Amino acid sequence: MSHRLGLPLFFLTVLLTAVPTFAQEAYVTAQLAGEVAVVDLGQAKVIAHIPLDGAPAGIALSPDRRTAYVTRPEGQSVAVLDLDARKVTASLAVPGGPLGICVDPQTGTVYVADWYASRVFVLAPAPEGLKQTGEIAVGKSPSGLAVTPDGRSLLVANREADSVSVVDLATARESQKIAVGQHPFGLTLSADGRRAYTANVTSNDVSVIDVAARREIGRVKTGDRPYVVALAGGRGFVTDQYSNTVTAFGLDDLKPAGTIDVEDHPEGIAAAKDGKTLYVANWGDNSLSVIDAGTLKVTGKIAVPDGPRAFGDFLR
Amino acid sequence: MRFLTMATVAALATVSFSAQAHGPSRQKVSESIEINAPADKVWKIVGNFQDGSWIPVVEKTEGKGGNEVKATRTLTLKGGATVVEELAKYDDAKKTFMYRIDKVDVKVLPVNDYSSTIEVEDAGGKTKLTWKGAFYRGYMNNDPPPDLNDEASKKAVSDLYKASLTNVKEKAEKGS
Repeated sequence: MSHRLGLPLFFLTVLLTAVPTFAQEAYVTAQLAGEVAVVDLGQAKVIAHIPLDGAPAGIALSPDRRTAYVTRPEGQSVAVLDLDARKVTASLAVPGGPLGICVDPQTGTVYVADWYASRVFVLAPAPEGLKQTGEIAVGKSPSGLAVTPDGRSLLVANREADSVSVVDLATARESQKIAVGQHPFGLTLSADGRRAYTANVTSNDVSVIDVAARREIGRVKTGDRPYVVALAGGRGFVTDQYSNTVTAFGLDDLKPAGTIDVEDHPEGIAAAKDGKTLYVANWGDNSLSVIDAGTLKVTGKIAVPDGPRAFGDFLR
Repeated sequence: MRFLTMATVAALATVSFSAQAHGPSRQKVSESIEINAPADKVWKIVGNFQDGSWIPVVEKTEGKGGNEVKATRTLTLKGGATVVEELAKYDDAKKTFMYRIDKVDVKVLPVNDYSSTIEVEDAGGKTKLTWKGAFYRGYMNNDPPPDLNDEASKKAVSDLYKASLTNVKEKAEKGS
């Protein structure tokens, strides 16, 4: 008997011990705790703390997903994190208020928005970590930003200018400004790069942009003070900071699909690789809410350190 | 008499402000106190949005909308400064409400985008009263002057909360 059971049991053991290596991780910028918390999403708990002062807020990952770049608005710098070693390996000083950050998926070039000005810094990976290679003029108080999958355009939400700048990356110059709702903060691109979504903080809506046509094609009502949009299963999900909710809407019909109660001051939101689960950082409650993208139900809550913002690409 | 001392106000005279909405890192403050009185009694003192008299520096509360969401009130402080506030959530059964400051001079309270929550919880016949706030510092740009930086803003809010909670404790424990 024991011999016959031995083989399946062996495979079962291998399967179980292998699971953690496939589980996704979240890298949560805990702004008030002064760290990036590593969350094992399979175990639903924080498994490591990477200390980082300077009020870490924005995060973006390299194309190979091994490096994280984290903005430190109060430390006026961008930190480079080795995600496998779970260590800060370098930091580059940048002026102003570095907050929003993104990575060009083709080249690995890092773009950082200066919240206090009207510019985006261009940073290139280098042996020493990062080096600044340029600066691009955009609208006032740039915040969320993203590069299209083809690497041709950088889109920047200009919070105080109620617009999105389109930067032609071949010339590294702004080629267009697209008018959107009031005070766009987070900016999210669809996987194919054809649509962009901004969360408009003071008009309480989402602007839907046709990227190729360079214009806004729709508006979706949200809760109070929307922060940023995530996309999963044919729907958009936007965190409403003041309502303590996530508003879901259909990406085809742009109609409301439901409102999900989360915790105090929800901010960063991202969808897991399988497109079935969303994670929301609740700044006030010090937690991540886990949302089922299909049923629109909260299925769990993970405690994280103080002041989680997770503004950007924080899952891998 | 304001939320802050006059010395702080004098130091602010030379500060100029940009049109920015706020700085990049929101702060939080939470203060609690245990009160030897039933939760119902404490809720009677703090639970009416149209009566801010439990906050020591408040001289007068004027408002409209009662305890309904979007109700407003204007607190007039001793010395004449005013604070305009709006009710965002109110739950009589859970004895909690949340409101925002719509308008306050940073000379009165050095905060921006301020929201706060009052919670009254039963603690075995006694009461745990909590006041929590979320806000950005008084100065909305880099290199804030000492009186408008994160620490000063947190201290001003924390001092206000502590003085108010102590005042409620004294009122509630005094009887009647």
